[in-house]
Amino acid sequence: MNNDLIIEGLTKKFVTANSVAISNINLTVKEGSLTTLLGPSGCGKSTTLNCVAGLEEPTTGKISVGDFVMTDISKGLLLPPEQRQLGMVFQSYALWPHMKVFDNVAFSLKLQKVRGDELKKRVMDSLDLVGLADLSDRYPFQLSGGQQQRVALARAVVTRPRLLLLDEPLSNLDAKIREQARVWVRELQQRVGITTIYVTHDQSEAFAMSDMIAVINKGILLQFAPPEELYSHPATQFVAEFIGATSFLKGVVASMDGNRLEVRVTNGDLLKLTDHSGKSWSVNQNVAIAIRSERVEMAGSKSDNILNAGVTNSTYLGSKWQHTVDTGSGTLKVETTDAATSDRMSLYLPPDSILLFPEEK
Amino acid sequence: MVSTQIPKPRFSWDRVIQWSMVILTIALVVFPAWPIVYQSFMSKPLYDKERAFTLGNYTNILSDGKFWHILGYTAAFAVATMILALIFGVFLAVLINRTNIPLRKFYSSLVTIPYYVSPLVLAFAWMEMYGPQGFGTILIRTLKLPTWQLYSFWGIVVVATMYYIPNTFLYATSSLALMDPQLESAARIGGATPFRTIWNITIPLLRPAILYSALLTLVSALELLSIPLVLGNGVGIDTLSTYIYVLGVVGVSKDYGAIAVVAIFVVLLVTVLVYLQGKLTALERRFVTVGGKATRPKLLELGKLKYIVSTIVGLYILLGIILPLACIVLESFVPFLSPFANPFKMLTLENYQGIFSSPAYRQSVTNSIYISIFAGGVGILFMALAALTAYRSTFKGRGVVKYMALYPRAFPGIIVGIGFLWAFLLIPGVGSLRNTLIAMSIAFIMRYLPLGFSAVSPAVMQISDELDRAGRVAGATWLGTIRHILLPILRPALLSGYIILAISFLKEYAVALFLFSEGSRVIGTTMLELWKQGGAEPVAALSTIQMIITAFLIFGSAKLLGVKLHE
Repeated sequence: MNNDLIIEGLTKKFVTANSVAISNINLTVKEGSLTTLLGPSGCGKSTTLNCVAGLEEPTTGKISVGDFVMTDISKGLLLPPEQRQLGMVFQSYALWPHMKVFDNVAFSLKLQKVRGDELKKRVMDSLDLVGLADLSDRYPFQLSGGQQQRVALARAVVTRPRLLLLDEPLSNLDAKIREQARVWVRELQQRVGITTIYVTHDQSEAFAMSDMIAVINKGILLQFAPPEELYSHPATQFVAEFIGATSFLKGVVASMDGNRLEVRVTNGDLLKLTDHSGKSWSVNQNVAIAIRSERVEMAGSKSDNILNAGVTNSTYLGSKWQHTVDTGSGTLKVETTDAATSDRMSLYLPPDSILLFPEEK
Repeated sequence: MVSTQIPKPRFSWDRVIQWSMVILTIALVVFPAWPIVYQSFMSKPLYDKERAFTLGNYTNILSDGKFWHILGYTAAFAVATMILALIFGVFLAVLINRTNIPLRKFYSSLVTIPYYVSPLVLAFAWMEMYGPQGFGTILIRTLKLPTWQLYSFWGIVVVATMYYIPNTFLYATSSLALMDPQLESAARIGGATPFRTIWNITIPLLRPAILYSALLTLVSALELLSIPLVLGNGVGIDTLSTYIYVLGVVGVSKDYGAIAVVAIFVVLLVTVLVYLQGKLTALERRFVTVGGKATRPKLLELGKLKYIVSTIVGLYILLGIILPLACIVLESFVPFLSPFANPFKMLTLENYQGIFSSPAYRQSVTNSIYISIFAGGVGILFMALAALTAYRSTFKGRGVVKYMALYPRAFPGIIVGIGFLWAFLLIPGVGSLRNTLIAMSIAFIMRYLPLGFSAVSPAVMQISDELDRAGRVAGATWLGTIRHILLPILRPALLSGYIILAISFLKEYAVALFLFSEGSRVIGTTMLELWKQGGAEPVAALSTIQMIITAFLIFGSAKLLGVKLHE
């Protein structure tokens, strides 16, 4: 029997605001994998996580791990958080300030009646895992932010829970420590082999850590895919925009041949592209095309898929230059390794790098 | 030749204000304190020409077995009251804020009522309801059920506990509101039931609030005069405060030396406790936690138990607070109150007419209102300036202000009154002020300086100091920055501080007991005068008047000024 986490039809309506926090979320998190819920703040990702934790009550939906059903509103089942056997790391770490590090980690084991040497061994094993065994005698306020975060993680995994829930656990750390923490949280998760849900609004964090990413906006699950697929084939304009520096141009489908299309952008230039989205298109349909700044090339000797543009702004970023250019059909972001030599550029948009979306109102 | 001019800073009022804050905060303590110290070494009263230096006062008191007995009794009373008030206060705060008992919102406001009522009124109310001749006691007795003796150690402790519960309740409630909800969620996720979460996480996290309100209650109970006086006086029970009161006001031969020594003793005792409180609070810093944005976990579900618990809380409020207060209000409208005569058949305004037809009694009401409104206003401005000097200036003396503004906490009200009385008697030139409301107002402001100062200080410290730096750089003086930037921002805090002061001034009686004379009576002193004459009904009328004015202050300020006294 596999122990995948399955979320089915999860919806939460706010009683007061008459609005929807999350709407019909369906997700399957494979046993032992790490899935990130990614989205801007207020998108519903934390609500989803809290519903899994049992801290919030969904309006409808079912949540189960293997054959252990935690929530099934249609059957009136809603286990309280303490009966779900989960581990969770909170944004503020939520270390209990009146308990030493050891007692923080030992708390749930004691509730499970683990005592004596067994208790001591398991707490110290868990603290070893995060490299803090020698600080077990300290109070939380005597630790740095990074150490507190690791204690919180040790506390979350000490009971070998069914699921590990991480609610923006790195957002209170300094930028430099955050990058290290990313690596070792991922390593620890893989070593323990625990099914994990990770909530963040930071797309680079999501890419660095996840097996699967679920992009959520306004309570709706827009795409659920591995990081590479998400990056190369974003399902919607919002996903494309949210996960990378992407520029959009408006246009109309001029011709179609299988998945090879031609799109005429607003100033009349014709762009060829190969569509991998599997969506169906029709001639004369209004569309938006998207391209990432790092995929735009200088035209050189190429003659097709060329846009001539005027440079409106150039920013030096250290390793590269980023230019904002006006193509006459819209603004593009472009990257070069050297400074621009003139205020005009001739740009080549590779047909395989152009993404196509239906026009959004 | 070019002459270079070194610019001189212009004169500014900043330093004048800052210096006066230092001088005023010191003077307000020294002025009433030194006559007491001086008197304690004098063989005769201060004004007596034949007075001479002596240590006799000290040796007399310290070798007096009665003094030690009273000290022990007072300590036992204060400790018992503190423990009971703590247990019930925390219990109520957790029940009302963290469980799903019915009517919790409603209870939450009712529970705090004793906080706004003078302990003198509460003592009278309990006496009228549960005293040996009380309405409730007689009712129970006629039903042939066992009754109790309110005029006893435990009777006094119970009433004092009723008075101090809101204190702990309010501290615990605001601490619960500030607590990071993730701390409780984390325990639930870790497998703890709601009960266990409250027991192992929530209540331990209340420790700083519990400790703080415990010492506050202890200090306040040590110096409490009214409840032991009203309930214990007839049966010979004495605490340090009633002892001083009896020595100085009631006693046939007033032993000034003894009063001074006992007063010094009390001040030293309280000073030690206040010092301890500061130390302990500093030790508890580690409980400060970073709050997250998380939603609060659901309230603890008590199941069927919730109706039982809600009923118990409701009975406590009904029997402990509502009925005694209702009893005293009813009594103010009848010639006499007895369960054997239907009070609603003999309603009368006689008691009120009695009070308002006597110029002296009428004046005590108007005096209380004047002090409450005017001295309260002057007081809060002074306290705000002191807080701004202490926390918002680079002035060297700011540390002194910070310390001295809080020191009056160590002075029980009755001792403040004695000190001011003697100081006005002794210092040439100010004696003419002695019988005026000005003297009374100064003493009241001194007594409540710590309260107002600590009500305003947190609001001052919350304002980013970049705001006033920006004001200074833009060309405003320190005083100008205060006037144009800080005071407007502080407006809500000042208004609620003002209302708190006004209510406190209205309730205050202990400071006035020694200090008042013809023309400077206040409601509290008149109540005690009438009580000594045996007039329960006029006392009830005055109590009712005081409660009505207080209610008017609370609801009026909430409606008109949007003042919120508690979050």
